[in-house]
Amino acid sequence: MDMNTDSAYDLVLGINTGGTYTDGMLMEYHTRKVLSAHKSITTKRDLSIGIESVIEGIHIEDPSMIQMVSISTTLATNAIAEKKSKRVALFLIGYDPDLIASYNMKRRFATRHFYYFSGGHDLYGREKQGLDLQAILSKVGDIKHDVDAIAVSSYFSPLNPEHEIRAFKAISGICDLPVVLGHHLSTKLGSVERATTAALNASLLAVLKEFVIAVRRAMQRRRIDAPLMVVRGDGTLMSDEFATQTPVETIHSGPAASAIGGRFLSRIDDALVVDIGGTTTDFALIQEGRVTVSEEGATVDGYKTAVKAADLLSIALGGDSHIAIDNDGRLEIGPERVVPLACLASQYPLVKDLLKRLSRCSRSKATPESLEYWFLLREPKAANQLKTDREKILVDLLSKNPMPLPEILKKFNLLNVRQIGAEELLQQEIIGKGGLTPTDLLHTEGRYTSWDRESAELALNIFSRYQFKTPGEVRQRVWNKITETIVHAIITFLSGQTLNLSATSKEGDMARWFFYNSLYAAHPHLETRFQLQHPIIGIGAPADFFLQDVADKLHTNLILPENYEVANAVGAVAGSVMVTEEILVYPHISADGFEVLGYYMQTGEGRENFEAAGDALNRAKTLSHELALGAALRSGADNPEVTVEVQDDGLDTYRVQARAIGNPRLGGRQ
Amino acid sequence: MKWIEVDTQRAYDRIRGKIITLALMPGSLINEQRLSEELELSTTPVREALKLLIHDDLVVITQRHGLYVAGINIPDLEQLSEMRISLESLCARLAALRADSDDLNVFEALQLEQAQTPSENSHRLLDLDHKFHKALVRAAGNKYLARSLNHLFDLSQRLWYVAMPHLNFLFDSVAEHLDLVDALKKKDADRAEQIMRDHVKGFYDRVRVVLEEKG
Repeated sequence: MDMNTDSAYDLVLGINTGGTYTDGMLMEYHTRKVLSAHKSITTKRDLSIGIESVIEGIHIEDPSMIQMVSISTTLATNAIAEKKSKRVALFLIGYDPDLIASYNMKRRFATRHFYYFSGGHDLYGREKQGLDLQAILSKVGDIKHDVDAIAVSSYFSPLNPEHEIRAFKAISGICDLPVVLGHHLSTKLGSVERATTAALNASLLAVLKEFVIAVRRAMQRRRIDAPLMVVRGDGTLMSDEFATQTPVETIHSGPAASAIGGRFLSRIDDALVVDIGGTTTDFALIQEGRVTVSEEGATVDGYKTAVKAADLLSIALGGDSHIAIDNDGRLEIGPERVVPLACLASQYPLVKDLLKRLSRCSRSKATPESLEYWFLLREPKAANQLKTDREKILVDLLSKNPMPLPEILKKFNLLNVRQIGAEELLQQEIIGKGGLTPTDLLHTEGRYTSWDRESAELALNIFSRYQFKTPGEVRQRVWNKITETIVHAIITFLSGQTLNLSATSKEGDMARWFFYNSLYAAHPHLETRFQLQHPIIGIGAPADFFLQDVADKLHTNLILPENYEVANAVGAVAGSVMVTEEILVYPHISADGFEVLGYYMQTGEGRENFEAAGDALNRAKTLSHELALGAALRSGADNPEVTVEVQDDGLDTYRVQARAIGNPRLGGRQ
Repeated sequence: MKWIEVDTQRAYDRIRGKIITLALMPGSLINEQRLSEELELSTTPVREALKLLIHDDLVVITQRHGLYVAGINIPDLEQLSEMRISLESLCARLAALRADSDDLNVFEALQLEQAQTPSENSHRLLDLDHKFHKALVRAAGNKYLARSLNHLFDLSQRLWYVAMPHLNFLFDSVAEHLDLVDALKKKDADRAEQIMRDHVKGFYDRVRVVLEEKG
């Protein structure tokens, strides 16, 4: 089929799994027109359930017209944070155990099972020590039944991967576990980050593969026969096949997609993108049309990796953040996400009756805690999912209707919520929580009307009365606090400076004074202000309500592009397909170290020898260009453009990077 | 990775496993519908997988009878053994000449694990034996030889399962492998070739006895 610009041939389906919702949207690619959208609840226990229900629920006139499906997913990030990834043995070749121990870098390897072996190369790619293959194979024999994958990282492997490759061949000769090599994932020289990246990648292989299969199945059920793409952490796209080999690159792909989507819909090339979801608010900067990428590798769950990802900040504040009073009587918004009471009450009419009854109680009885409801999200699949008696009783208690937290405590004769021991049930999404949220406050103002307004009003009245305040005052306090939190995050994100707002105010703290004075113009004589140079692009459903005040305080414009509520799903299809290939050129030094014998050109596969650096560089440029172009075409890029850059890494070592980038190829199905 | 390919691969692996382990008996009819229900996969990937298995000579199709699992018979066995005896001994010869220290490490690791595996764990011993042969093929460094032998391995694996309940020769092969590793280390190509010839021939001789007894 020839390229066809007829709009009917360029339908694309974008899906984003956020912390709260999984969004899907069907778009005409070239006109950027969103034809339909669908939302479902993100199922953290298995993200593919939420994605399947989006694929099944979205309105599609003719599924055969869809040319591409693309997904941004927090799967990798979640799996790592929730320790759901697979068990990995990490083999470190030529690493110095004492050095690792002295810098206390052990925890950074992202697996408890790591082993040292002699071998490795020096910074000129010369063998530092012979590879102890015997020890490696004997270790494999010991552990192969206790792990799901093996990662291998050898010292200076980007300069000379020989030991990694030899280890790979030998290990796959004696066992069937997947083996991941460090030099395939990173050409940078940080040995600890490379090892961590290899270990994380190995731990995610099976996770991402199952996910891709589940999505493919859902597509098949809806008769969608199209390439499937997955968003990387820097917002670019890769084919599902690449994704199953390098799952670690999907870390942070959700927020990156949001930023790309915001830019794509607004057509603005320089802006700050703020994505407000139900659970979190994410910040990213767009410069010259691209999401800024963090020079350092992405960090996930405290592990520093060598993965390129968008420079992002994520804070635990969203439309469904829990509004509560902390132990010191201060207003608290988040970090926990709960189901808004207005929503819970529209599902369970009893909740409204309970709120009515509570509003007639005395102030001391109608506490903020009594506004927290627990309810049964789903029946546990099997009886053995409930491990303790208390879990069984709890599920039984909640089986018909939600119950306020104080009543649950009373049933169990407990004082503190932590004593209940329901963490497992909450994490398994068997039990959910409902409570007062900013979304409820929007209902009381009539600005948001999806659910039961009366229940939201009752809850706010109870919450306000407890603090001897009017509902209006509490509402204002909540809006101010949200604005302060977001402005604070923006300033932290852009400046890299810190300011602890929750600390008790200290006399003479100019940073604090400057911050509040700029927000509220409090000083009679001295005016200070923040001035954001670029507009804010707001995306996510609550953006409309929360961000105008933020933009005002930062003296900039708020832009809400059309379809901003589903911009993150748009972002899943809006990224370019990108492939980078790196080749290292470095001197071949004589054994005594005094003479340069020539230059090596090192690719992931092998190396070539040259007399002059110039020849090696030229060959590297041609070859990396060729490799990147080929790989981009294979991953579905349309007419990719290749740029080659040479970076001087010092010590006569050069990194030649070819980047092939193009829009996804549509309508050219083979 | 197309969905169909994923499921086809799954179906292929599982059906092939059933044929090799004799869960699907040689010569038995294949019911596509029942097979796809059993594997919980749709019929399309099952059909695709069966096509691949026909290509592997593990499934046979005839116009009259439809699909059935390829039988095991004496003439087939003879043809297979002729090929394997010649090619495996050639493979052992080349491996003796070409194996480097990495290859030798792999042989030793496999040999050691084999020696430590209890004789009743026949699945694991079979797997190790298979890995040993594959490592030899790799060390021989001839891709055409590799391709031919891999195909023959697949066909012979089934014979292991036919013969296994009757014989104890998995245990014997421990000593044979030990000998072979020694010859490989000494780069004694003649001896390696001879050991392998005897090893493969001994295997087929015993399988032949079992098949003849079974009639």
